[in-house]
Amino acid sequence: MEVVNQRSALLSNYEVLTLLKELESDHLARTRTALRIKKEEEAAGLPRNHVPQEEVLENLRTIEVEAIQYLSADHQPSLKQTDASISQLTRSLSRFDLTKAEKLQIVNLAPTEAVELYVIVEELEDRLGDHMQDILSTVRASLIEAVSSAEPTHAPAEVGFYQEPVQAVYQEAETWEYDANEIVFEDNGEGAGVEGDLDIDED
Amino acid sequence: MFVLSIIKDTVAVHPQHFALPPEQAITNELNKKYANRVLHDVGLCICVFDISEAGEGKIRYGDGFLWYKVVFRLVVFRPFASEVILAKVKSSDEDGIRLSMGFFDDIYVPLMWLPEPSAFDPNERAYFWLPGSEAKTAHELLDSPTSERMYIDTGEIVRVRVEADEFYDDEPGPPKATEGVQQVQLENRRPPYTITNKVWVLCHGGKMRVSRPWTRDSEAMQLRFESYSCLL
Repeated sequence: MEVVNQRSALLSNYEVLTLLKELESDHLARTRTALRIKKEEEAAGLPRNHVPQEEVLENLRTIEVEAIQYLSADHQPSLKQTDASISQLTRSLSRFDLTKAEKLQIVNLAPTEAVELYVIVEELEDRLGDHMQDILSTVRASLIEAVSSAEPTHAPAEVGFYQEPVQAVYQEAETWEYDANEIVFEDNGEGAGVEGDLDIDED
Repeated sequence: MFVLSIIKDTVAVHPQHFALPPEQAITNELNKKYANRVLHDVGLCICVFDISEAGEGKIRYGDGFLWYKVVFRLVVFRPFASEVILAKVKSSDEDGIRLSMGFFDDIYVPLMWLPEPSAFDPNERAYFWLPGSEAKTAHELLDSPTSERMYIDTGEIVRVRVEADEFYDDEPGPPKATEGVQQVQLENRRPPYTITNKVWVLCHGGKMRVSRPWTRDSEAMQLRFESYSCLL
């Protein structure tokens, strides 16, 4: 193993969350199809042919679940963010004289109060002065909640935009429970025996 | 908080995974090897982001594995110095506070970097902070009325600034033998990757046991902020 570049790029929390959620839904889809095929075969009374089963990567699943939990917790702004709102936010932040790290943290933490911004930006008052409120209002505008509460009678397209991520989150929560059950099922299933056989073959 | 690292490695794909598309098989192998592990001087690996280059799979004499030379990008948890992160209080003791982020637990706030003046309350097993207090020593602070203290309880979310991070290579080294009997070392294992922090602003936590609640009310925030700037 060789580390070519320790830090080739910085990622925002939202990007990581999206990536992990993709992995999670891939995993769920796969286990569900595997289960369905198994059930169908059993129902048809077919002899079990050896379909190579993909193993569950336990360490990946652990970090995936824990990181998703952390990144989508109540105190994180990621639930109120969307792809479009983040790109809009970074574009509007380029007006201000901020460093890359400061911009990244503004995207990650979405400060809506002056104190929260003071922590992120060094010497805030000297550097930005009056623009502080502008930054805060830009951030507020980028969060979905703020948009909907400020203008409840907005165009219907906007409203649809608001509802979509909320639904997605709800589905995620629901499938999560299924997942726990499915893993339990897999562990007790015949997969364990198959693995044991393979071990013996290797010897 | 998260970075992309480029890493070069050689992975072996077991024949049982030959049915999968090679890209998927390689990614699985890499995830199996790296996910949820700390790479020395790199950080805590989360998962493979993508594969940038992969050579042709080669079979070596002696096993049926396909060996690929791969260059790939990895999502790594490695907060940079002075980054602000949100974390949960896991436990407190006389030495400081230990924080947790769910997937990463080795975050510490040493005593000296707590907001001043603060002290450890041994009855509650928690630190408290007395903003604007004149008291200096822990004794004076502990004499203060409980209602004025702002406790940093277990389970609360705090906003901290990363001051330093440290890697520790926990390699056991060659086994030691005395009088021909192998000794089992019983020393404490140090965590491979630790982050040291400074508590900055304590934000919207769960339950607050103070008479003057830490609301998000701007006046209260301003007051808190002023006492921080005094600290600076």
